[in-house]
Amino acid sequence: MSDVKVQKAMKQHMGLTASRRISNTAIYIVLTVMSVIWLIPFICIVLQSFRVESTWQVGYVIPRQWGWNNYVNLANTDFWRWYTNTFVLAILTAILQTVIVLCMSYTLSRFRFKMRKPLMKFMLVLGLFPGMMTMIILYRVLADLGLTQKNSIPGLLLVYVASSGMGYYVSKGFFDTISKSLDEAARVDGANRFKVLVKIILPLSKPIVIYTVLTAFMGPWGDFVFARYISMGTSAGKNVAVGMYDWLSQDQIGKNYTMFCAGGVLVALPVTILFLFLQRYYVEGITGGAVKG
Amino acid sequence: MKKLISLVLALVMLAGVAAVGEGFAASYDITVWVAEEIKELTAQQIEAFNSSNQYGIKFNATIEAVSEAVAADNMVNDVEAGGDIFCFPQDQFARLVKAGALSKLGVAASEKVTAENAAGVVAAAKSGDSLYAYPLTADNGYFLFYDKSVIPEEDIDSLEALIADCEAAQKYFAFEMQTSSWYLASFFFGTGCVSEWTTDDAGTFISVRDTFNSPEGLIAVKGMEKLVKSPFHLSSSKADSFESNAAVVVTGIWDYELAKQILGDNLGVSDLPSFTVDGEEYHIGSFNGCKLMGVKPSNDAYRQAALHFLAQYLTGEECQMQRFNAKSWGPSNLVAQASEEVQANPGLAALLKQAPYSVPQGQIHGSWWGIAQVIADDVKLATDEAGLQAALDNYQAKIEELFTLDNTALLFVGAWNGWNNADTDKTYYLASKGDGTYALTFDVPESGYMGGRVVNPGSWDTDKGFAQVTEGADLIQDLGADNPDNNIVFAAPGNYTITWDGEAFSIVKN
Repeated sequence: MSDVKVQKAMKQHMGLTASRRISNTAIYIVLTVMSVIWLIPFICIVLQSFRVESTWQVGYVIPRQWGWNNYVNLANTDFWRWYTNTFVLAILTAILQTVIVLCMSYTLSRFRFKMRKPLMKFMLVLGLFPGMMTMIILYRVLADLGLTQKNSIPGLLLVYVASSGMGYYVSKGFFDTISKSLDEAARVDGANRFKVLVKIILPLSKPIVIYTVLTAFMGPWGDFVFARYISMGTSAGKNVAVGMYDWLSQDQIGKNYTMFCAGGVLVALPVTILFLFLQRYYVEGITGGAVKG
Repeated sequence: MKKLISLVLALVMLAGVAAVGEGFAASYDITVWVAEEIKELTAQQIEAFNSSNQYGIKFNATIEAVSEAVAADNMVNDVEAGGDIFCFPQDQFARLVKAGALSKLGVAASEKVTAENAAGVVAAAKSGDSLYAYPLTADNGYFLFYDKSVIPEEDIDSLEALIADCEAAQKYFAFEMQTSSWYLASFFFGTGCVSEWTTDDAGTFISVRDTFNSPEGLIAVKGMEKLVKSPFHLSSSKADSFESNAAVVVTGIWDYELAKQILGDNLGVSDLPSFTVDGEEYHIGSFNGCKLMGVKPSNDAYRQAALHFLAQYLTGEECQMQRFNAKSWGPSNLVAQASEEVQANPGLAALLKQAPYSVPQGQIHGSWWGIAQVIADDVKLATDEAGLQAALDNYQAKIEELFTLDNTALLFVGAWNGWNNADTDKTYYLASKGDGTYALTFDVPESGYMGGRVVNPGSWDTDKGFAQVTEGADLIQDLGADNPDNNIVFAAPGNYTITWDGEAFSIVKN
């Protein structure tokens, strides 16, 4: 290369890095500002949960006295009971729903049977109805089965899991992208359908499995409206969101506000941890399934 | 032989009588819903009842913390699953009666409750002529909380002075106006306006006497104008506003402890101030409400009677005093109210000082809260007296709407159209005859219940029916209490013409 050419290349190179630097800086500034805006409420809640000089809402953010009192006081309420309720419910829903969804998706992706298309369309249309519409009739049915109030946790589990088969779209889309010749090879080697799913498809679909588990876990973890409706008037059947909501009533907010924040932090913990570790798969799961419908 | 049989029968009858006397003596599993803060106290009180009652009743009570406001919602959602005994704020009363969630008090209990409790509170537990609940507290009113380091003692009786002090100190005057009719009405009560609603035995609102739109009402909004137009007015009723730069907060006894914690010795409490319009002074009024305790209806008469004994005990003088001592709940019982301890409580003392200017909160239509609330916004935006008057006119128009049928579309909904109140088919619409009357000629088909009433399509709120029939009463059935929905129920099928003149129906058989 001649000197001129080298110089030209270097110039171009420098220009490129300089302009990239500028655009990167701009992007980082925007992202930082946005993340600060998004994080402020969470930081406030964390800070409030460590404030011990008063228990009501105040006009400042940084506590004047720090301590664990709010977390310790949670033990004097039904909080851990609600927390366990929610946790058990979320774990069981995550397991059952994932199994159902994956089986459903595999079936619809790989099997060809009569009424397959109409069934899929039927479920699509069913899924378009707002779930809230069914709330009152579901309440009546559960009440007659004795699955409300004290027994609302099994009742809720039934409701969460019962309709989960209809949420097959994303994972079916993902399974469709896996070459059928893999299945066929395995079948030729003597594997049955179940073995194909477990040994071939699932290992290739880690992101979608994790995505399914995560979304299944999140549903019960954050449910409020239905959980509140069917657990009415009993502390034992409440989930954590419903239980803590009462602390914000007019007569309790002055006493329980900082404890509410502490509870909020504890509720956010498992979900945050899950997302930190599984974030990579989560994004892959959403985008992976979108290749083919 | 006959003698023997009659002897046996007589013995059986006697045994029956004896059984009635001992019928209560049993153990009952019950659920009681009370506020979180009195959960333990209530458990102790039920224990005390178990060991002291003369009937041998034992309650095995599950006590759940359900706040009063939530309890009413829960009961209306599903009465069957509700608590056997529950507490609620009085504004939920009419709704609960209508939902069939409250059982009526017996004659003896009614007399005792009426004699022992403050009159305003008893009125709050009445629908028609019957009592449906037991008074629990009489402290649901509001008064003035202020910061002594900002407000000098001599200014607390004047609204204008309070506003001036707050503005000078750059601190807020928190008095909920734009966001709550409960507080907003105080100015109107101060000038003698009333809003009195009447319900029938079934808990349905049938009429109102409302004088907010009057010369006195105009004075009230002039006073309100001074407050809401101040840059330091804050529409809030939370004691923690003291933390965020408020010097005056109007709230109730439930915030006393919190305010005391925030302000310490600087906390002052008093009755509400007066405002001056055209040289005349008006003391701001207030709502004076209460909490009630209700007993859920039960199929088992003994159980229900036993529950009523318990509710009566829990709302008696002794238990009210215990709640006052433990949690400063202001008693509704007259003897408890007069006791030295109650009189010495600063918050309750302020409430009692405000009492002469307060209005007992009777039954109020659920829509009123939303309608009245708008006044404060309108007043804030008004630039002159005409604007203030317009706010009141607007209010009155909306109140009248609650009880008026809109004559542009009148549907005779009933068995004949499958009770479809959103019917768009004009078959059962009353048509205008051009002289201010509306008429419909139609066939009533033979059916088990040939009833219906006139509504505006799509709504059940402003219905007219049986009570408005003046002519042709012989053609319809008078079902009395079996007709809570005010339906016109025809005695026989046939072709009828029904005419509405804006106030009454006349029915003719063709």
